[in-house]
Amino acid sequence: MTAPIRGGSTREVDLPVSEAAWDGARERSDSPFVQGVKRLRKSVTALVGLAIVVLLLVVAIFADVLAPLSPTTNDQTAMFQQPTWAHPLGTDQMGRDMLSRIIYGTRISLLVGVSSVLLALFVGVPFGLIAGYYGGRTDRVIMRMMDLILAFPIYLLAIILMVIFTPTAGLLGTIKVTGAIAIVRIPIYARLVRGSVLSIKEKEYIEACRALGLRDPWIVLRHVLPNCLAPIIVTTTLGIATSIIVEATLSFLGLGTQPPTPSWGWDLKANVAFIQSNVWLSLFPGLAIFVTVLGFNLFGDGLRDALDPRLK
Amino acid sequence: MRIYLLKRLIEIVPTILMITFVVFVMMRSIPGDPVVALLGDAYTEDDAIKVRAEYGLDRPVLVQYVIWLGKLVRGDWGHSILNGRPVLNDVLIRLPVTLELIVLSMAVALAIAIPAAIIGAVRQNTWADYTATSVAMIGVSIPEFFIGVLLLLAFSIGMGGMLPSSGWVYLPGTCPTIVCAASLLGNAHHVLMPAIALGIGRAALLTRLLRASMLEVIRTEYVTTARAKGLAERPVVLKHALKNALIPTVTVMGLQIGFLIGGAIVVETLFAMPGLGTFGIDAIIARDYQQVQGFALLTAIAFVGMNLLVDITYTFLDPRIRYTG
Repeated sequence: MTAPIRGGSTREVDLPVSEAAWDGARERSDSPFVQGVKRLRKSVTALVGLAIVVLLLVVAIFADVLAPLSPTTNDQTAMFQQPTWAHPLGTDQMGRDMLSRIIYGTRISLLVGVSSVLLALFVGVPFGLIAGYYGGRTDRVIMRMMDLILAFPIYLLAIILMVIFTPTAGLLGTIKVTGAIAIVRIPIYARLVRGSVLSIKEKEYIEACRALGLRDPWIVLRHVLPNCLAPIIVTTTLGIATSIIVEATLSFLGLGTQPPTPSWGWDLKANVAFIQSNVWLSLFPGLAIFVTVLGFNLFGDGLRDALDPRLK
Repeated sequence: MRIYLLKRLIEIVPTILMITFVVFVMMRSIPGDPVVALLGDAYTEDDAIKVRAEYGLDRPVLVQYVIWLGKLVRGDWGHSILNGRPVLNDVLIRLPVTLELIVLSMAVALAIAIPAAIIGAVRQNTWADYTATSVAMIGVSIPEFFIGVLLLLAFSIGMGGMLPSSGWVYLPGTCPTIVCAASLLGNAHHVLMPAIALGIGRAALLTRLLRASMLEVIRTEYVTTARAKGLAERPVVLKHALKNALIPTVTVMGLQIGFLIGGAIVVETLFAMPGLGTFGIDAIIARDYQQVQGFALLTAIAFVGMNLLVDITYTFLDPRIRYTG
């Protein structure tokens, strides 16, 4: 809608302004976070990714209700059954229901993916903040430690760590995998945050904080950290996808959570031997890994575009 | 440039020492004793003491590392604790297999990524672009071993077993033993699926990165100038835009060597290939300290060497980049 031109007026409010221009002006008046959320809501791929992630979370939380059978109970009378109504995704060499194993496997994948990234975040971000803010010897000591971890190929380090931790089944096994992946990911956050802090600490508002006599921990937590959040959020979302792949790879190599605990990577590896006669057995765990990683990647990509449109 | 290269080569040494030392310490903190596995049912405490003394395992870790380093300088990579074979020999036998796999997978990655990224960038927001970016997104979301399984289903189980599902045929002239299968066609048959499985993920990543770089470069003034002076679109894209867009891609390719080594472990395990990946994982699981050190050393050299190669490649892609001592 265009406002009518009022003859002779030179006041700004009287000039004709299009609806699109008003929308742009309104958007610019919002905080960067609100602008990001608005952009995210317009991204179809991000919403598809979010829907996949939410669906997987529901499956993981309500696995006990959704799974038709126990994922660990063997049934010697029902080995290698093709997909039927009783077993929609068939059964494996132990007669275990594949659908139930995949549903419970969601728990392990999401638990390891999310918790390893959060653990790496809670250790890596403070390291990055301290190194970047204080600089000097503190920075050098912290960053050399991080470089030491970064100097290793990610899989080599994760594999050696898992052999040291000794893979086991159940919750303990899951915690070990989480720890190994978290250690590998700590330097990523430390480097990312340090880089952001180095530029933020030179800004005038930080100088103003110091001039006002604010204490360093307050400045770092209240003024520096919030300005590093956008890259942290994006790296975390995309990092979950990577962690899920690393967990599946470790399980595939026999170094992840051990059976009978259901794990997609392990199930895929165990069933490759029977691939000739039972195609679906390796196909479904692989598809589960793919859909989960795709969900987090789509959402992470959308989030990056929304929070930092320059990167689009 | 020469002084810079010399400096970088000197800098590589502490990094390799650091990696090998950390692996050395980590391996010795793994629960379990390789001597027990070596002696098996014939294990007696007396024999175990003798074997530990023979391999120097009864000494402090730091002393063991210095001894290993001293031997390494003299060209002795040690002997496997479990089979007694020289580690250097085993590593050299398996290196060509992994090297071939990694080089071919990068070739697969570049052969897919460069045209896909160019089409995506030049025809931005068209169906061609959406297809390239969607396929790339799918590619980065599939782990190598699942791509491998899909390839097995398609070409080994389907299509009348067109490609072999496991094993290896060496390239002519690379056969490490007196008797082994070696033929060019046989090698191509065996390496094709592993190389594609390892290359597709990298292709997807490089497509996304190169497309973003190309989009940035084709909006720069020098590209506009090239078009304005009447240059055809092909040289504008291939000669002016692509070359400059390749710089961040080369960086990522260099960093990908770590992932490629990890990917090689997985792909070689899936396709039962006699490469360094399976050598490394078997050695780590069996706690064969000497073999693991050999694997870690070679991995470290590949890792830091690749990063140096990336820095040198910059000078070819952008003549403005000059390294001084």
